Amino acid sequence: MAADSPLTEFMADLDYDKEMRRWANLFKVLSEPEPKTGITPRDEIWRKNKSVLWHYPAKQKKYEIPLFFVYSLFNKPYILDIAPKVSVIETLTNMGYEVYLLDWGSPGYEDKQNGIDTYIEKYLQTAVKRAIRHSGAPEITLIGYCIGGTIASIYTSIAEEPIKNLIVATVPIDFEPFMGPDKWAEGLREGDINLEGFIDAYGIIPPKLVEGMFRTIGSPIYFTNYTNLLYRAHDPNYVDKWRRMNKWTLDQVPLAGEAYRQLANDFFKENKLVKGEWMVGNKRVDLKNINANLFVVSGSRDNLVHEDQSKPIMDLVSSQDKTYITVETGHVSLALTGLLAKIVHQWVSSRSNPL
Amino acid sequence: MSDNKNFDPYETLHKFSVLWEKQINDFILLLTNNKDFIKMSEGGTDLHSRYLETFKKNQEALASALNFPTKNDVTNVANLTLQAEEKMEALEEQISDLQNSVKSQNKEIESIVEVSKEIIKLTKQLKTELVKTKKELSETKNLHAELQEMKLELVKLNDFKQEFETIKALIKEEKSTEPLSTVALGEQ
Repeated sequence: MAADSPLTEFMADLDYDKEMRRWANLFKVLSEPEPKTGITPRDEIWRKNKSVLWHYPAKQKKYEIPLFFVYSLFNKPYILDIAPKVSVIETLTNMGYEVYLLDWGSPGYEDKQNGIDTYIEKYLQTAVKRAIRHSGAPEITLIGYCIGGTIASIYTSIAEEPIKNLIVATVPIDFEPFMGPDKWAEGLREGDINLEGFIDAYGIIPPKLVEGMFRTIGSPIYFTNYTNLLYRAHDPNYVDKWRRMNKWTLDQVPLAGEAYRQLANDFFKENKLVKGEWMVGNKRVDLKNINANLFVVSGSRDNLVHEDQSKPIMDLVSSQDKTYITVETGHVSLALTGLLAKIVHQWVSSRSNPL
Repeated sequence: MSDNKNFDPYETLHKFSVLWEKQINDFILLLTNNKDFIKMSEGGTDLHSRYLETFKKNQEALASALNFPTKNDVTNVANLTLQAEEKMEALEEQISDLQNSVKSQNKEIESIVEVSKEIIKLTKQLKTELVKTKKELSETKNLHAELQEMKLELVKLNDFKQEFETIKALIKEEKSTEPLSTVALGEQ
């Protein structure tokens, strides 16, 4: 349908059908309830404090070695199970893998003393033990995403449990390269910015401040997601995807003060992980102790974790079987589009004892 | 999407917004990426933290005087719960380890039972064979006795044979001497 106008010769027509669809979809965004995420059937295996270990059974089990997801501390892990057909977890269970996911939960003020080491010693280690026991498998594959990859790598280097494969995606290992403003990095490293008082005063870093921290590194002012929605609102698939992504982006979790302190001081400021100077309890974290098969995935369009932050792990570990790949994707879209499942399957299928 | 026939005003808006966003962010970066801003933000953060700490301390003092629970009290209670949870978890782990050891012991017992069953079977077989052997032995004994008897009889028979031979020899001797006497009698 097109309207006649005396200026037709000078100006192109509006597609009225498309406009109707656009505004109807936009009205839905404002009026309808939020889309449902976390669609894959799952069972609770273990719970401690706010953390939960979930088990996603395979549709038809084809591999003996289960997959264990370790997600970031900054966001909620349902990005891995965001929507039907593009869900990373759903795709992997359909492919025949038993999948486990450790959801760290949202820390409260009482968890302000929880550092990265606490999360590894008191939560991750027990969760891995429980997953191995529950699956009855002789070994397990760890998949770490973002800072979850850092945590998974640290844990693998000190683990007594049988870790067969370690997969890390968009993982910061070397904290020397920094994606944000260089003077800020300099200020933090030289002690011009001291966050101790701030962390002590807050106890846990509120979600809005965590979000602000990431915004500051990437783009402090961000409104193109809304103009993009307006532009592509005629497409219901895009609108659905946008709503899910928007829900996840705004649904941040607070960060325990001690974990933030360790990230800022030990990792960012002193780069102790690469230097092999960091400790978990009485164990020194040396990535050389990693002998598991290693697979590292980086995104070429990642604006939070640069490839230079992930690559050094290749030289730091002792693994004989190690692979590094770069894919044409961003920090979040790797999980959002379900691409991670396909990449993981290609590498891990032959290393998971096919039945 | 714009084409020759239709016009999409939001495409232009989006393109401009991307450009504006980038320009604004670049401008913010230019304004903030310097030592002066860092010092200023450090001062601001420090002041903010101090005020927050003071406010918290005052609140704690007031709540303590009025016997109101504060977030710190809630934290202490939550930590107690967490401690109990950790103890429970340790117990669960111990129970699980025990279960595992019981399972492995059960398996060992099962294998011992299997071996025992084999041994019992073997013993039964041996017993049957022993009974058989005993029977055979008694039969052999009987046979031996019979043989002894036979031997004795044979010895007797031998004796008899010898006696018989002696008698035979005597008869022969007698026969050879008898005609002489007959002759002598005839001459008379």
